[in-house]
Amino acid sequence: MKVAYALLTVGLALVVQMALARYAVGGRWVFDLVLVGVVYAALYWGPVAAMWAGTLGGLMQDALTGSVIGVGGLAKTVVGFGVGLAGDQFVVARPSVRAAAVALVTVGHRLIIVGLLAVVNQAWNGVPWAAVLMETGLNAAAGFLAFQVTDALPGVILQTRQRRRSSLGRRRW
Amino acid sequence: MRKSRRTLVLFLALSSAHLLLMSVQVQARSGMPLIQAAAFGVLAGVQRATAGFADGVRSFWSDHVASQGVVAENDVLRQQVIALEGQTQAQAALVGQVHDLERLLNLQESVIPPTLAARVIGGDAAPGALTITIDRGAADGVEPNMAVIGHAGVVGRVINRPTAHAAQVQLLIGHNAGVGAITEQSGAVGPVRGGAGDPPLGMDYVDVLKEVVVGERVLTSGLDGIFPRGYLIGTVVRAIKGSGDYSEIAVHPAVDFSNIQMVLVILARPAGTDGGS
Repeated sequence: MKVAYALLTVGLALVVQMALARYAVGGRWVFDLVLVGVVYAALYWGPVAAMWAGTLGGLMQDALTGSVIGVGGLAKTVVGFGVGLAGDQFVVARPSVRAAAVALVTVGHRLIIVGLLAVVNQAWNGVPWAAVLMETGLNAAAGFLAFQVTDALPGVILQTRQRRRSSLGRRRW
Repeated sequence: MRKSRRTLVLFLALSSAHLLLMSVQVQARSGMPLIQAAAFGVLAGVQRATAGFADGVRSFWSDHVASQGVVAENDVLRQQVIALEGQTQAQAALVGQVHDLERLLNLQESVIPPTLAARVIGGDAAPGALTITIDRGAADGVEPNMAVIGHAGVVGRVINRPTAHAAQVQLLIGHNAGVGAITEQSGAVGPVRGGAGDPPLGMDYVDVLKEVVVGERVLTSGLDGIFPRGYLIGTVVRAIKGSGDYSEIAVHPAVDFSNIQMVLVILARPAGTDGGS
């Protein structure tokens, strides 16, 4: 079930990524919501679910961008494994800490991809640090929003239910 | 303990599978068309739906909420339409004259290729890929390598095999993109390639003896077999004569790639495909 949730999360992230990227063509706004989805899956459902999510999300991205299939898949699998294990070992509960994890992972993920592409293409093109910085900021912001909403949602639903119940109670009285 | 070992085994298995997949492609020197087609086929429908939803919300907003100043804008647009109609008639007259001259000189008549308007329904699946998805595909006559233009100039070309109602377009500013080009005044010929930094286009192999000037327009040369001759690519913003045989030419693209909503697919078959061009 955890794996199914993780795959759904990454699928949704991919759809949102492509829908939003339509308004950000040209490389000015660089973000990777699939990566955010993988980190989310790793922190909520553990390394196994996150690895499957990373594999599927990365392969889909590779296939859709015409890149060497497996590069993004491997990078995201590594991320899912690493973050999942770290999430099991340490308490990463606050949304701001989780967003910081997303930022850290974004840099690592980009370095893995640049390294793998250098090996595959037998050419080193350097690290596009400006793009990495932009991606790190936007991914962290998206992660913070996702974690904040997920954390706040149960409380909001509970409050709404309680309010409704108390108003019904008053009506009966 | 057993759980962590299972996790590690799964990690190693998935990583090995990825490495195997990569090595197969590197050895074959090609991608995996089946996987690509399947992934694109699955997501093209979803993209069409999300784009339809987003456009619906936006048109509701613009039609019913943010419609202030529409009357004034309408007047301006009417005036622009009249001016453009005049220009179109002048251009049509010029085309007629060109055809007459071609007939007189016994030249092969130049044909204006048919175009197909398409809506952009999706962007990059991964950052930095610089591709867009359009809502026209094989059912509309779109084929791989067909040229795609915008109202300002060249946008890119169709890559991979389109699905029935969607196609993927590689933008000209992408890393592996290129187009045969010619400068309008100096007549310097060379390929323009994307991914050049700032500005994102660079013109290669331009003879150092050609006097390319800043501000000169760069057009498609038609030599690549994909883009018909004469479409605007951009403007020269830097022309430096190096010590070697070639000048360093930087080109600012005519198209604003950060805001592409509609494009035109040129339905002429690229050279080298069935039917020829």
